[in-house]
Amino acid sequence: MEIKINDASIIVPESHRNITLQAFIRDYVGLKGTKFGCGIGLCGACTIHINGVATRSCLTFVEDVIGQQITTIEGLAATVSPNELHPVQKAWIEESVPQCGYCQAGQIMAAAALLNHNPDPSDHEIRNEMSGNLCRCGTYARIRRAIDRAAKES
Amino acid sequence: MTAHPVPKKISRRQFLKKSGWSAAGITVTIAVSNPFVRNAIPALPTFSDPELESGLAWVQALPNGHIRFFCPRMEMGQGASLGLSQIVAEELNISQSEIECVLPDTNQARPFKMTVGSDSIKLFFDPVSFAAAQLRESLRDLVAQLTTLAPDQIKDGKGGFVLPDGTSLTYAELVPSKPVLVSAERQASSTETLSRYAKQLKSSFQAIGQKWKHPELEAIVTGQTVYSRDVAHPDMVYGQALRPPAIGARLIHVDASAAKAMPNVSVVFADEGNDFVGGVKFIGVVSDSPFKLSAALEAIDVQWEMPENLNQDQIDARLDVDRHRNNGDFEHILAEEGDIEAGACEAIIENAARYDTSFAAHAAIEPRAAIAWVKPDQTEIWCGAQDPFFVQKRVALLINRSVDDVVVYNHRMGGGFGGRVQCHASEEAAILSAAVGKPVRVQWGREAEFQNNHFQPGYSHFINAGVTDKGLISHWEHDYVSSPIMTGPMPKNIAWVVDKVMADSGTSRGSLPPYQFAHQRTRYSDIRTEIPIGAWRGLGAAPNAFANESMMDELSTRAGIDPLVFRLQNLPPKSDRLAGVLRQVAEFSDWKTRQSKASTGLGIACAVYKGETPVAVVAEVFVDHTAREIRVTKIWCVQDCGFTINPDQVENLVMGNIVWGCSMALKERITFAQGSVEESNFDTYEILRHHECPDIMVELIDSDATPVGVGEAALGPVAPAIANAIFAATGQRARRLPINYDSIFSDV
Repeated sequence: MEIKINDASIIVPESHRNITLQAFIRDYVGLKGTKFGCGIGLCGACTIHINGVATRSCLTFVEDVIGQQITTIEGLAATVSPNELHPVQKAWIEESVPQCGYCQAGQIMAAAALLNHNPDPSDHEIRNEMSGNLCRCGTYARIRRAIDRAAKES
Repeated sequence: MTAHPVPKKISRRQFLKKSGWSAAGITVTIAVSNPFVRNAIPALPTFSDPELESGLAWVQALPNGHIRFFCPRMEMGQGASLGLSQIVAEELNISQSEIECVLPDTNQARPFKMTVGSDSIKLFFDPVSFAAAQLRESLRDLVAQLTTLAPDQIKDGKGGFVLPDGTSLTYAELVPSKPVLVSAERQASSTETLSRYAKQLKSSFQAIGQKWKHPELEAIVTGQTVYSRDVAHPDMVYGQALRPPAIGARLIHVDASAAKAMPNVSVVFADEGNDFVGGVKFIGVVSDSPFKLSAALEAIDVQWEMPENLNQDQIDARLDVDRHRNNGDFEHILAEEGDIEAGACEAIIENAARYDTSFAAHAAIEPRAAIAWVKPDQTEIWCGAQDPFFVQKRVALLINRSVDDVVVYNHRMGGGFGGRVQCHASEEAAILSAAVGKPVRVQWGREAEFQNNHFQPGYSHFINAGVTDKGLISHWEHDYVSSPIMTGPMPKNIAWVVDKVMADSGTSRGSLPPYQFAHQRTRYSDIRTEIPIGAWRGLGAAPNAFANESMMDELSTRAGIDPLVFRLQNLPPKSDRLAGVLRQVAEFSDWKTRQSKASTGLGIACAVYKGETPVAVVAEVFVDHTAREIRVTKIWCVQDCGFTINPDQVENLVMGNIVWGCSMALKERITFAQGSVEESNFDTYEILRHHECPDIMVELIDSDATPVGVGEAALGPVAPAIANAIFAATGQRARRLPINYDSIFSDV
């Protein structure tokens, strides 16, 4: 009984089947880039990819993703290139998006998934698809710029 | 630098050794006149401003030629460490790759002021540039000794110096691999003459004014940055405190036997901590697994008696400006000039209105967390705090240790906004660790974060004012009530005296508008309720600007004068900088030609944050009667924060303030029912979401003036600009925050 996180096979102990994927990733696997914000899917800080689709890890239970491919912020770059940042991460740096930075892993995972299924999103599509990811520092305008840049450059 | 008594020098050296300074390199020092008193009781946040010489130990030359900068400001996204690093680099002629910025733990620096109030650059520009310049000149002296040249023959070079024959000497060649303390004292006469490049003409700057990127960016976007919630200790166990379900709830029954019977679970009853009733002050659980905590806590059978009189309508009644006006009891007169009634006689238009703003929460995305390890001889705390020295004092007091035996390792905060001066998670972790003797991790959930916050208080304002036939303000009468913010956490037995003596400087921030009045009176009362109050972004600046700038708009529209023109013609002489941002934002937003049309309107507002940073905002609002919602579509902002150390960083902060302002204007409200916070997560306490965020356009005034506050400066004018735009769009006034479509248009 295992799941794949960033291409590594992780064996799930029987006792951990019914905890959230978020708690499993952070406190069992020890990958701390996936953040806790609200615990009930309202803020998006814990966004990860399951088979490339943005998913809230706080609403997902380990037993529901047995055998699936999970990608966290730590493994995002490697989905595109072995030795470079992901285009979305690069754009985030180019536009100096983060302030406190805490929500940004979730924002980046949501944006990367958006560009996966919609490589050239309109402003309206960006706003709607990103609306589940809260940023209290207020970096939304720069996030839009960075997504535009990533869309153009990838 | 005045002459200081010499004997303290030894303790200074010992301190520096203790502070990790003994890592190889050169540090400049002076004798310290004020030994630090660290066992102060009660433990209070660290208020004192830095002195010019405070920073000498913050800047250190390393053997590899790099400069280590122990940054005296904590990081929570405002980027102060970046701006201050640029100042260090400017003084020492180094590039960004040659500066190593460290957020010091409490052993690595003397206590410095808590990171609040948007004053990192304003207050620390001087001591940081002084320290870096002193180090540079000490290094130049070292070259002079080595070469027998006079210091003024030794010119600056990149990362070092250039000798008259053209030879370059880098810092790496100068700095020995053993620790050296260089006394700045022999330069005592040169304090005034010390050349500080950061204070010279900006055309010659190589680091300041550049768009340096924050060195943490790559770590943030790859998930490598360690926030307090991400810290792990190999031997740690997991703890959680039982917190009351309401403010003022009384514990009337507790039975922990079921929890105690759970394997690998400890239940901790302690005498430390806050005021539980019934002989117990603190109850918590500790487990070897984070996944067992909730079950263990739920297994404790507790009964609480809820307070009966802490409902929102009761709190509102106590913070009701009309009630206080009827009783005529205002403790403080903040401004009084001329004669209100005489002024009113000159008015051709008179207008009176009441404005109210809500209680609010910080809602930082990272809920608080800490690890504490209480050992027999030392206590270590890992946390994210705006004032690590306050954490140190609080923890020492709670577990009865000497302050010097507590070390606080501070981490980047996932948002601060005033909410992380308080340090409950560290306190809880320390109590639990003292009981179990292991490192204990405590992490709050979102619900705990809302329930146990220190809140922005609600405000209630009444303003009566008028306009003369010349378009000037005839009189301005402003009464308001709210709760003390700066002294909010003060114990009740002394608080009432403080409230009598002075108006709370945080609550009253920005309540005196920047206009000229021949006849005016502003009165204010500090009203304490049981609700815990603390600093929230901008403190009083935003609620006060909402009241003042809404009234300015009401007066101008009733007098038939353009709101921009009305503001400009009522500014006192020497308001060039405020007039400047107003004119520029009008031009930038096309104020004069952009017509309000059906359901779309423009509003303008301005404020001068802390009397220093003029900001003007124009908002464009679309009122969608079909969807029954108000949408802010565009915001233009012009800010004059003086000379800008890092324009890119400042733009980001201004944008953040605008988003916060929209959120405050349209969404945020905390309410209480029987002392319990009714909003427990982001579904009930909504903050602005991505799809609601307007297009934001920011311009900064290009200026040589002394840098002033930025971090929360642009917040004040945002909400009134939105309310004023709603009026322009619909003819309806929004006088209560948050503004809700139904409350304005239900009767229309």
